[in-house]
Amino acid sequence: MTEYEAVIGLETHIQLNTQSKIFCSCKADSWNDPPNTNICPVCTGLPGVLPVTNRVVVEKAALLAAAMHAEIQPVSFFDRKNYFYPDLPKGYQISQYDRPLARGGYLDVPLPDGTTRQVTIEKLHIEEDAGKTKNDNGRRLIDFNRCGVPLIEMVTGPDLRSADEAAQYLIRLRQLLRWLGVSEADMEKAHLRCDANVSIRMVGADYLNPKTEIKNVNSIVAVKEAVQTEIERQIREVEAGKRIEAWTLEWDEDAGVLRKMRSKETEADYRYFREPDLLPIHISEAWLAHILQELPELPLERRARFISQYGLPEYDADILTGERSLSDYFEAAVALYPSDPKRVSNWLLNDLMRMLNESGKLASELRLTPDYLVEIIRLVDAGTVNTTTGKSLLDKVEASGKRPGEIVNAEGLAQVSDTGAIRQAAQQIVSANPEQVQSYRKGKTTLIGWFVGQLMRETRGKADPQLARSILEELLSE
Amino acid sequence: MRRQGFTQSRYVIIPAMSLTLEEVEHIAELARLELTEAEKARYREQLSAVLDYIARLQELDTENIPPTSSVLPARTPLRPDVPRPGLPLEELMKNAADTEQEQFRVPPVLD
Ligand SMILES: [Zn+2]
Repeated sequence: MTEYEAVIGLETHIQLNTQSKIFCSCKADSWNDPPNTNICPVCTGLPGVLPVTNRVVVEKAALLAAAMHAEIQPVSFFDRKNYFYPDLPKGYQISQYDRPLARGGYLDVPLPDGTTRQVTIEKLHIEEDAGKTKNDNGRRLIDFNRCGVPLIEMVTGPDLRSADEAAQYLIRLRQLLRWLGVSEADMEKAHLRCDANVSIRMVGADYLNPKTEIKNVNSIVAVKEAVQTEIERQIREVEAGKRIEAWTLEWDEDAGVLRKMRSKETEADYRYFREPDLLPIHISEAWLAHILQELPELPLERRARFISQYGLPEYDADILTGERSLSDYFEAAVALYPSDPKRVSNWLLNDLMRMLNESGKLASELRLTPDYLVEIIRLVDAGTVNTTTGKSLLDKVEASGKRPGEIVNAEGLAQVSDTGAIRQAAQQIVSANPEQVQSYRKGKTTLIGWFVGQLMRETRGKADPQLARSILEELLSE
Repeated sequence: MRRQGFTQSRYVIIPAMSLTLEEVEHIAELARLELTEAEKARYREQLSAVLDYIARLQELDTENIPPTSSVLPARTPLRPDVPRPGLPLEELMKNAADTEQEQFRVPPVLD
């Protein structure tokens, strides 16, 4: 069906990575802690307590707002959102309603086809999280550790046009959050949660049809699958002459189906009113300027610059700017090896990425600093070590923290380019393997690879492979 | 619509009610209150009187008056982001109606 297009908006909740909660000093991250160990009278809603706002929550929210090109409001207010649920001990959530911290803004999302989708932001506000309810054999148990953990709620306009685009938006948002250092943005740990509003319309139409809301699509894959499933359902309904009703749906990830939820309260039912226990947040120009000192070059800007400044392919630039410390590492290395940025990129993409994936470290945490990496590349360039030895040096430097040159000297790894030494080793191999020599001479010349392998083993990988090959070929053709 | 005002500390209920019985029931539902028919009728009268009284404020021209959310010095104090231990578990569990596995236990909710 090509005559329909999807219209998708995403509502995201982002858990900030502050040390303490938003309105009390309890530790914010309870991922590794037993239930109800980071709670106090404020976050459990005991009588007679007052909330006090965490400065860093405001700063991180403002930083994200600036990165989203949103308008940060000099004055914003807290409001109470009233509803009853066992994991909401106060009976209301402190949130922001009509005077949020920031309005407007957008994220430019590069799409796989090379175009860019500008996704607008309607509003960005801060609020507190609720606790967790666990169902255990029909018993409901409540853990309040997550109560009062700071969240940012960010709602996009109806700007996304496919399930893939929705997934791309989340990928870019996650990248940005980590880049700014405002959230760990780990979807597995629910640091980044998502609800999706989905409707369809005829291609080219400029009106919006009734939408459904899909709750709890909490992974990139889930967003893709749930949204796609819903788009297809809506097309089937419309084709069958039925109307789309404004349902709330829940994505069952295991079964891969959407289930209709009992309709939740409407907005008026939340009976929002100003939080009487908190005064408005004032962000002065001086404070904002101070916050914005932390605003780095953003990932998509850096991606574009890597392409234009270093002539990198889009693929390389995309991976290198996937994470901030990797892109900083690349720039530090290129500064020391300005003649060939692509060569540096190859070493990073092929080898350094493997080390990072295996160790789970950030590039900035490696003992193999950009300085050492460039030293290894130069040792290979100069022929002091061959490429294989060069690559093995990466792990050796990382394990020992020693300079590459030092390791080469200490372990005698310098490449043997001495024709005499290689010829001697080659002769030994040829006389020790008469059967293989015979097969080779009968025409099975692919055996050359095996001979070179034997020689490299004999010389502990130090021989110049090209030289070894030509000497072996010479001996074998005799 | 007729309006009534306060006389001394009492106000006079008038029959022109701005709230329907269904609205009262909805508000009671949101507040998880179970009301008898007599209570519904009484709250309908009282809440309508409150609404009607508040509605008089709508008659004022507030075009050039900025909204007042608070009469206090309008700036929230901020605290540094430094974690501190909260309450010990036993203290917090002490007043709970029911607990299990160091968690608060609540009755099941039927959807
Ligand atoms: Zn607390």
